[in-house]
Amino acid sequence: MSSSYVLLGLLAVGAMHGYDLKRAYDNRLPQAKPLGYGQVYATLGRLTRDGLVAPAGQDRDAGPDRTSYSITPAGRAALDDWLATVEPPAPHVASTLLNKVMVALLVADIDRARRYLTAQRRAHTDRLRELTALKIAPGARLDDVIAADYAIAHLDADLRWLQTTLDRVADWHREVRG
Amino acid sequence: MTQLAARGTVKSYGATQALQGVTLDVAEGEIVAVTGPSGCGKSTLLHCLAGILRPDAGEIGYRGQRIDTWSEAARSRLRRTEFGVLFQFGQLVAELTAAENVALPLLLAGTGRRAARTAALSWLDRLGVADLADTRPGEMSGGQQQRCATARALVTEPRVLFADEPTGALDTLTGEQVLGHLVRVAREQRTTVVLVTHDARVAGYADREIAMRDGLIDHSGLGLVGGPG
Amino acid sequence: MKLSTTIRLALAGTRTDVLRVLLTGFSAALATLAVLAALTVLAIPKVPGDPHAESVQYANDLLREPGLRPGVAFTLLLLTLPVLVLAGQCARLGAPARDRRLAAFRLAGATPGQAIRIAATETGVAALLGTLLGLAVHLLSRRVLGTPDENGLLALPTDVLPPVAALVAVVLGLPLLAALVTGLLLGRVVFTPFGVVRQAGRDRAPRPWPGLLIGLGVAAFVAVEPLSRWYAGQDRAMPVWLLPALFLGGGLLAMLGVVLGTGWLSYTAGRMLHRVGRGPAALLAARRLLADPWTGSRTFAALLACLVFGAGAADIRAWFVADQQLRIESQLRSDRLSGRPTRPEHLVPNDFYVHTMDLVHTAIVVALIIAAGGMLISVAEGVVARRRAYAALVATGVPRSVLGRAVAWQSLAPVAPAILLALTAGTALTRSITGEVRHGGGQIRVCNASAALCADPTTRERYTQIIAEPVVTRAVPVPFDDLAGYGAGALCAVLVTVGIGLLLLRSSTDLAELRAS
Repeated sequence: MSSSYVLLGLLAVGAMHGYDLKRAYDNRLPQAKPLGYGQVYATLGRLTRDGLVAPAGQDRDAGPDRTSYSITPAGRAALDDWLATVEPPAPHVASTLLNKVMVALLVADIDRARRYLTAQRRAHTDRLRELTALKIAPGARLDDVIAADYAIAHLDADLRWLQTTLDRVADWHREVRG
Repeated sequence: MTQLAARGTVKSYGATQALQGVTLDVAEGEIVAVTGPSGCGKSTLLHCLAGILRPDAGEIGYRGQRIDTWSEAARSRLRRTEFGVLFQFGQLVAELTAAENVALPLLLAGTGRRAARTAALSWLDRLGVADLADTRPGEMSGGQQQRCATARALVTEPRVLFADEPTGALDTLTGEQVLGHLVRVAREQRTTVVLVTHDARVAGYADREIAMRDGLIDHSGLGLVGGPG
Repeated sequence: MKLSTTIRLALAGTRTDVLRVLLTGFSAALATLAVLAALTVLAIPKVPGDPHAESVQYANDLLREPGLRPGVAFTLLLLTLPVLVLAGQCARLGAPARDRRLAAFRLAGATPGQAIRIAATETGVAALLGTLLGLAVHLLSRRVLGTPDENGLLALPTDVLPPVAALVAVVLGLPLLAALVTGLLLGRVVFTPFGVVRQAGRDRAPRPWPGLLIGLGVAAFVAVEPLSRWYAGQDRAMPVWLLPALFLGGGLLAMLGVVLGTGWLSYTAGRMLHRVGRGPAALLAARRLLADPWTGSRTFAALLACLVFGAGAADIRAWFVADQQLRIESQLRSDRLSGRPTRPEHLVPNDFYVHTMDLVHTAIVVALIIAAGGMLISVAEGVVARRRAYAALVATGVPRSVLGRAVAWQSLAPVAPAILLALTAGTALTRSITGEVRHGGGQIRVCNASAALCADPTTRERYTQIIAEPVVTRAVPVPFDDLAGYGAGALCAVLVTVGIGLLLLRSSTDLAELRAS
């Protein structure tokens, strides 16, 4: 689930208490469904079990909201892997795309962010090209064309959003980091 | 074989530098989309590649020859015989009928009126607007006009077709029709196509995309500064 | 809407609008000068006591003879006609942009009447500036040209001033007339809030009915002689206004007929070019002529009006020349019959009228030059307005030379027959009056005896015969060389105008125009 990676990303900036982590998540992704505390703690538990984060600080016996968590080297590696992977271009990938772009801008250095974003855009345009070829192929049925249109429209929307986002990148970059 | 090439092309309009050093190659029979936001220089690049404008610096090559050094008359002949040009609007002569508009390049080449008309009619038919042969552009819809303009651009069976936002003024479905016809005929004739557009969906009709930003090729496609992605 | 608001809105505009205002003003100034000159001539007071006495303070017989003065005034008034046509052409400069501006006013809430009033006010204000300028120049030149020559005579009537009421009427009346005409002409154009729509009626092919107008004009002139004979037969004097009305009305009708007939000529030229022409240039020109046949009328109106006038004037001049020749011949014949030696001064033709006609000729040449200016404006505007379309054509590979040839055909194809028509119409008008010259019909006393007997008064009576002098009529030849001169001059002017238009085409199809899309 990509929200676990968002939490990983937030922790990659610096260690945080569980309570602050939930607040940071809601702040950064105000349009998404707010993460419940239960979900945050469950995710943290999973990440700890997988060795991607480690609880730090002395008050180990206090609840998860008072424990400070930090990302482990394994966690960083997992995050990098996730960032290097291109999201398959298809409709309803929007929230995942959003998460990945945000985290990339937050966490990755500029070179890696650029590489990811360029690769993502290329995947989108390649898929768009494939779908267009499908549409104008001789013998294409109406259903095929309609389905292709749907996918194309969403891919176009993604691409446009991607472009607009990057045009704001300087401001957003500062804000996210700060 | 490389059909078109640009090397370090620079072009300014007064104080504005539209092209800051563009280098690219287009192979024969390729359909290439040149994309980018408004003001990135894509139309200027198209005009330079088609020999409509002379760059301030750099080279433009066509089939191995440098055409940026040619005289206006020679480039005009090139545009007439080996290139086809298609704009967003305003290129059909309002007073001529569709058939006469399409026949115009042939008449310029010296073809007789009757032969030119026959060729024009067959092209209009291929683009699906044969019944508009004797109507004037003012009496047609935008999509029909663009299809006539496409017929005119293709009537001389050019080696390269340059299209600058050909569907910019059309609605989605009509634009699709025009593009569909254009691409189909281009593939049939093995015509190289350079298609300038800011719309990703139009770019989807091409084999390859060349993204531009601020007068330069943008390898990231997103305006990200730095080397190739 | 308050007047000040109207004026402010009327004067809002771009450089082309300023040019239009200036040119309208200039034409109005010229027209004012002509009218004021005519009024001044008419204002020369008759010598008290003798209505036929000459006003001896002037050097020129045209001003001295009270009978000639109305003719002079009338000719000056006729000269305002080409100037007014020029003013009409100037008023169309930049009209599309102005029409769009008025449509924008409509969108902002103005009523159609208000929109038209704004346009009419612009013309009126421009004309008012022009008439005031004309008045100032008139009064100034009075001062400058008012010095008597070595005989103490005045060359021009700078000692009289037309009545103040007349001056005011001209200075205020011309702008009002201009505004009214603008309002009328624009009444057919509807400024909807979404743009400009021309009322229907423009798309049909022009018919040759303007020929009827020319015919009516000629008929007016033809009627002069029978009418004057009828009045003479009835032993009544012709009403003073009849002759000028016939001349003015006939001239106007003929000029209007020629100008409007150019529409039909353009259309027909387009049809023929389409059928016969082969290259793409001919095709483009033919289609353009068919699509808009009235452009030729608008562009060449002033030129053709001047040619009608000039042809008539040339014909009249030919009449005067023939008249003088025949007079000399008659004098010689009667002197021979009566045995008297011819006095030397009778052998010299009285060139007064011929010189007067030469003056008229000069005035017409000046008017033609002004008309050429109007043509240039029209052709330039036509090229500039279509520069986007031309630039796109050049980009797709149409050579500029083909476009240039198309523009040339477009202008020349209708204008050549139109010039012929104008010259023919002008000559036809006056032919009924200038067809022939006639002299003789008097009586000669002839003494059929020897010189000694004839010298003695007592014996002369017995040998004297009274011989009726034969009436000699001679046909006046049509002044083909003068007409050819006018025609060639007009054609040259058109060629120069087209040439400048082609230069403009070269510079305005700069492909940077395409960038503006």
